[in-house]
Amino acid sequence: MSLPYRLRHRASRWLAGPFLMLLALLLHALPALAESPRLATLDWTLAETLSALDTPPVAVGQVDAYHAWVREPALPSSVTDLGLRTQPNLELLASLDPERILVTPMFSNLTPRLERIAPVENLALYTPGRDTWTEMRELTHQVAALVDRDAAATRLIEDTEAHLEHLKQERLDDDAPPLLVVQFMDARHVRVFGDNGLYQAVLDRLGLDNAWTGTTNAWGFSLVAIEALAGLDARLVVVEPYPAGVRATLSESGLWQRLIERSRGEPLTLAPVWSFGALPSARRFADQLVGALENDDDR
Amino acid sequence: MTADALPHTTPRRRLTPGRACLLLGLLSAGLALAHLHAGPGLTAGLASLVNISSASTEALVLHFAWWPRLAMALMAGGGLALAGVLMQQVLRNPLAAPTTLGVASGANLALMAASLLAPGLLVLGREWVALAGGGLAMGLVFALAWRRGLSPMVVVLGGLVVNLYFGALAMVLLLFHQEALKGMLIWGAGSLSQNGWQDAAFLAPRLALGMLGAAWLLRPLAVLELDEAGARSLGVSLKWLRLGGLGLAVFLTGCVVSVVGVIGFIGLAAPNIVRLAGARRLGTRLLWSTLLGALLLATTDQLLQRYSGILPTLIPTGATTAALGAPLLLWLIPRLRLHGSAPPRPSGTPTARHAAPRRLAAGLALALIAVVVIGALAGQGAAGWQWASPLDGELLQWRLPRLAAAAGCGLMLAIAGTLIQRLTANPMASPEILGISGGSAIALMGAIFLIPAPSNPMLVGAGVLGALAALAVLVMVNRKSGFQPERLLLTGVAITALFEAIKAILLAGGDPRGQQVIAWLSGSTYYVDTASALTVTGAALVLALLAAPLARWLDILPLGAATAASLGIDLRRARLSLLLLVALLTAAATLVVGPLSFVGLLAPHMARLMGFTRARAHLAGAALTGATLMVLADWLGRQLLFPQEIPAGLVASLLGGAYFMWGLRRL
Repeated sequence: MSLPYRLRHRASRWLAGPFLMLLALLLHALPALAESPRLATLDWTLAETLSALDTPPVAVGQVDAYHAWVREPALPSSVTDLGLRTQPNLELLASLDPERILVTPMFSNLTPRLERIAPVENLALYTPGRDTWTEMRELTHQVAALVDRDAAATRLIEDTEAHLEHLKQERLDDDAPPLLVVQFMDARHVRVFGDNGLYQAVLDRLGLDNAWTGTTNAWGFSLVAIEALAGLDARLVVVEPYPAGVRATLSESGLWQRLIERSRGEPLTLAPVWSFGALPSARRFADQLVGALENDDDR
Repeated sequence: MTADALPHTTPRRRLTPGRACLLLGLLSAGLALAHLHAGPGLTAGLASLVNISSASTEALVLHFAWWPRLAMALMAGGGLALAGVLMQQVLRNPLAAPTTLGVASGANLALMAASLLAPGLLVLGREWVALAGGGLAMGLVFALAWRRGLSPMVVVLGGLVVNLYFGALAMVLLLFHQEALKGMLIWGAGSLSQNGWQDAAFLAPRLALGMLGAAWLLRPLAVLELDEAGARSLGVSLKWLRLGGLGLAVFLTGCVVSVVGVIGFIGLAAPNIVRLAGARRLGTRLLWSTLLGALLLATTDQLLQRYSGILPTLIPTGATTAALGAPLLLWLIPRLRLHGSAPPRPSGTPTARHAAPRRLAAGLALALIAVVVIGALAGQGAAGWQWASPLDGELLQWRLPRLAAAAGCGLMLAIAGTLIQRLTANPMASPEILGISGGSAIALMGAIFLIPAPSNPMLVGAGVLGALAALAVLVMVNRKSGFQPERLLLTGVAITALFEAIKAILLAGGDPRGQQVIAWLSGSTYYVDTASALTVTGAALVLALLAAPLARWLDILPLGAATAASLGIDLRRARLSLLLLVALLTAAATLVVGPLSFVGLLAPHMARLMGFTRARAHLAGAALTGATLMVLADWLGRQLLFPQEIPAGLVASLLGGAYFMWGLRRL
């Protein structure tokens, strides 16, 4: 069932009739690709994990927004947009006839409905009280088991961990200052990231300290006014995007300017990284962070 | 008359405006001093106001965050209270305020739209965007109430409708752009936190300008206390005076709102407290209200700063004052004198009775069937537009429950609307306005945030409990007045305000579950399955049958209390039973399509315009119209932005709002 559909789909896109056989042969030569089941997911974190395992889902919720906020790994152009993540288009989903639908606990109220289309797999990440990195590894294995790509999962985990270890050993100074990772909501409020979040997990792997030790919510951040950052001896890391007009306002803000003066160097600015992501986002964040720290040392 | 709109307090008056301000001032100063004392100590803390030579971080935060925040709270509170007094004076309406007149929600929507479509405008000047939106919203409210001579009740109800409509539009934007608008959610909930003196420096001169303006208008505005003929005979140009006073109030509100966001209820509460405390003349009321508003906001904010630090999220001051203001409004309602004894005006223009209502109803039923067939069979799929076979069970299992639920909800809301419009003899009344939808929504939001992975039966249970709680409040507050229509509707305004406030607080935190709340609040048939569709349609049919025998009451009640009593109707019993029925209908429909639909307003109107005049015919006509509208809205919502779905409740309220504006002249 799945093979003919894939063939037809891809063939009509890229290849004319005579190449069909060739493609079939090719796909046979790559058993993993050929046998990968047709999965649909509502969640971007699961979508990025699937893509990183080279088995991108056939359908995801809010594809455009995924590319704006998660960015990488990019979804193939063949992926179908299911509409809002909280209200995926069920008729469309049913017509795609997926073999399995992956969700996170946030969407558990949709489970009974989705189960009428295909078996639903509920995978948790960022469970409060659990070590984020361990859970991320487990999630990767669970997802891989569903697409029969256990080896790829092991590889992805090992690669990511080795890469982060390499960054830690080779490219980071031992005396790196504690960091304070924030994202601006408006000119007066930031999300500051801490326990139970992606950024914290990456900082831990890199052996960097997070200066924020305050409470965080179940998604690993706390919404605070800028004044809450005062007095923390740290280097500021700002994750983009800045909302409209915020940069201009900040340049006039007495408190922000003094905060920068007293912090450990100019704030580092990083391109957007999906702050509720899994291993691929973790790796991107680590690369950008280390790159920014290095650039700064060169100056 | 404003002064008469409130009861004369007892001669043995202990609370004077001065004492109220002194009390709050002492409390606020005490809290402030305690904060300084706990920090760097009193002298160093006070010194940090003017200089920052001290290297300590504490002094830095005090100078750049704490002191400006205190200044901002005082200025914002004073400005909003001043705006409130001006509005109340000009409109001779004790319930006029920046929030009740829709200024705040207009500003909110304008800023949201600007940040998505033209972020450059925000860099140029947020306050002008906010001002434009606020002015537009208030203009709309006036347009709604113009024909009824800007009567206090109609103005407040018009404000509520505009609030709901702008809220619905904001909800559409939020639904599709939650990530991009998360900062706007904090602003919409009104946070006072500061990080420098620049905002205070922005607001201070504008506030001073507003105060000068108010002082300049003081004498002519005081003349408005006379009745209109009296004022005119003194040679005052009423039109320009009103325009000037309101313009000033909108300017003040716009300036405050653009820097700190939407701050609820100070503009309503401060002037009313001052008046209850015995200030009569406009001059004294302006002075004391401004002072009281400033102290009220500063005290609330100090308390919040002191006690909300333990939570991992920000509790915005503006929404908190709004949440605290709702009970205050409930307390005020029985104390307001609302000229309730005057017979209500007949609702709507008298329309000609249709010659053959039965034939008309049959036509409507055919239209309903046609819309249902289109809704069931036409639609887009992965391969574009398709016309499905009526035997395609795979596809219809998704569509039929939604169609049935939409029809059922439309029918229930339409009947509820007809009942409430006839009961109150008020063409602007609708079930949403009674606050039952709001109560149900509050409970649902609580369930989503407090239960880790709520199942649908849990959500339904919570929604029903909330609706019943709202009903209990309605009954408790209104029992004494014998369920007088105006007070009933005001209670609804208060509950809706509480709902808005809680929604703002929850969404401001930026929790990803907010998306779920938004999805449900926008009222979609998405979550309907076969079982709930059957329940909804069953409930709709049973409740519709229950409504039918009440038609006699509905024919008589709009004629006024005296007529009804003389015809032997037990008013209290009739009103209570009708009310209960309305509550049940609204709760059942709200659980499916959310609190934001205008079908309850729209369907009875349209049915009346078509010529259904007698109560029984009106009920039937409205029910058919409501069902048709909702099915149409559901289908349009599923197709317009395919594969994304605009919830039926939002489509219905956008259609309904447009119809409402169009029908203004008929009001």
